[in-house]
Amino acid sequence: MKLKKLLCIALCTTLIGGLAACGNSGSEDKGEKEVINIAYQYGLAYAPLIIAEKNNTIEEAYKEATGDDVEINWIQMNSGADINTGIASGEIDVGFMGVGPAITGVAKDVGYKIFTNLSGQDHGMMVNDNSVGSLKDLVGSDKQIAVVNIGSIQHIILAMALENEGIDPHALDGNLIAMKHPDGMTALTTGNVFGHVTSSPYIYKEEADEKLYPIEAVSKAWTNEDSFIVGVAAEAFKDGSEAQYEALCEGIGNAMDFINNNVEEAAELTYELNGNTLEDEILYLEKGHYSTETSGVVKMAEFMYKNKFVDVDPGAYEDIVYENVKGN
Amino acid sequence: MNQKMKGIITKVIFAILALALWEIVAKSGVFGEKSELVFPSLEAIGSAFIRNFTVGYADISLMTYIINSMKLLFEGLFLGILLSFLFSGLSMISKTFYYIYDLIVTVFDLLPGVALLPVVIIIVGVKPGIVVLLVVHAVLWPMSRNILDGFKSVPQIYIEAGRNIGLRGAKLLLGVYIPAATSYIVSGLKVGWARAWRGLISAEMIFGLASCPGIGLFINQMRTNMNNAEMYATLIVIVIIGLFVQYAILEPIEKCTVKRWGMSR
Repeated sequence: MKLKKLLCIALCTTLIGGLAACGNSGSEDKGEKEVINIAYQYGLAYAPLIIAEKNNTIEEAYKEATGDDVEINWIQMNSGADINTGIASGEIDVGFMGVGPAITGVAKDVGYKIFTNLSGQDHGMMVNDNSVGSLKDLVGSDKQIAVVNIGSIQHIILAMALENEGIDPHALDGNLIAMKHPDGMTALTTGNVFGHVTSSPYIYKEEADEKLYPIEAVSKAWTNEDSFIVGVAAEAFKDGSEAQYEALCEGIGNAMDFINNNVEEAAELTYELNGNTLEDEILYLEKGHYSTETSGVVKMAEFMYKNKFVDVDPGAYEDIVYENVKGN
Repeated sequence: MNQKMKGIITKVIFAILALALWEIVAKSGVFGEKSELVFPSLEAIGSAFIRNFTVGYADISLMTYIINSMKLLFEGLFLGILLSFLFSGLSMISKTFYYIYDLIVTVFDLLPGVALLPVVIIIVGVKPGIVVLLVVHAVLWPMSRNILDGFKSVPQIYIEAGRNIGLRGAKLLLGVYIPAATSYIVSGLKVGWARAWRGLISAEMIFGLASCPGIGLFINQMRTNMNNAEMYATLIVIVIIGLFVQYAILEPIEKCTVKRWGMSR
């Protein structure tokens, strides 16, 4: 019996010790470190990151500034929510996500701010029945509209479009159905949903389909000039190494310049990973807007708070972005 | 102290120790400065638990999400169990059907329901029925496997005895196969229930219908909004429902059948 009790105590102690050890790795003082952990998601909107990874733009910027080497650990994740958790637990230094989750993270005090804009893309809503030309026609109906997630940027854009038309922003919430972009496109083209709110490149593919019709109000609510994907950096990372932070900003900026100045070369590097043909990739990259300057972040934050997409006030522009970021 | 009481006391002590361990980890802040955000304390989870029911999300209480999920779950569970009995029974009547169904069970039991989603959307369309179908998929194959194994384990002498008294086809199935394979069927029910419950939550997390929001969608919303205490509180609700079904429904069934008949200890 005594042996059994001793085993139980040893097991509990090991568990507590193990968990504490796990946590310590996240809470340790960052200081000057050799590796930057960068989390991002999949898709065309993240194209500058593929360039940064393949052309080593961050490593080169750091080497030029300090003469030292830095290693980048690129981590692909599924959602902004996962990246938020990773940053809050101290495992991720830098993350790239939709402007919506980034604002939520700032409002919830995850411990980061936006350090750069990454891209703006075209968004829109397509329907498979041309008898419906406006959002007003859909309010009160049971027609289903696919979005990637309830509370996603596409949902928020739809709500913005509704408000712009003088309709309650949540008037179509009951019509929404959450499914991934490709599933939404399949459901729309097969007539299983009535509408699909999506972003590039899916919106271009749907626009090319003669049997699908656009709802203009949605594409106008948030254009490719507005921030879609932004980069966030943990406060601990920024405070721990100013040189790495500056190299990060410069490296990401250089990757965007590469796309803007050499779109064909950029497409060569990204088209296979994005699953497009080279011709399509060039077209899609040309339609995107790649700039470090944010646009519409405050407008998005105010709209999200006013319409309960986030339950804590994200604050003013200075509260959401670091001092080096330009824009609104 | 009898064995039953000893079992209960051991489980209660283990639960208290696990909760104490959770609280120690949460309070020690081992997950960094934002530890409370990613690993909330029991008090935070407790108040979130109440908030989930009083405030909910988008002015809809968690109770509504639970009711929606349970409706879909029981529809799927009922259909899955019914079909597994039907197909497994037919397998015992027709050898040809058995060979085909055995292959189907082996193949489909390996496929995760969510991986079939694109195909299911095309076939069924976009409606709550899609979640029901995924629950049926989660239940049907493991339950059928258990029932088939149970039927195959029935001693030949029982089957011969049944035939000798004139039982054939469905009568032989109801009079011999099912009673003799009850322990396998009850075990299949347990596995089927667990698979259905997990299948439902997974399906709802990937495929969220705003017109019929379920628990999976609620968890997703809480994750998206970084309301981790609310998310953990919802996981506790899932565990409570699971325990209720296990101890209030499945165990009494087991007690009234296989244990009573001496087929299991």
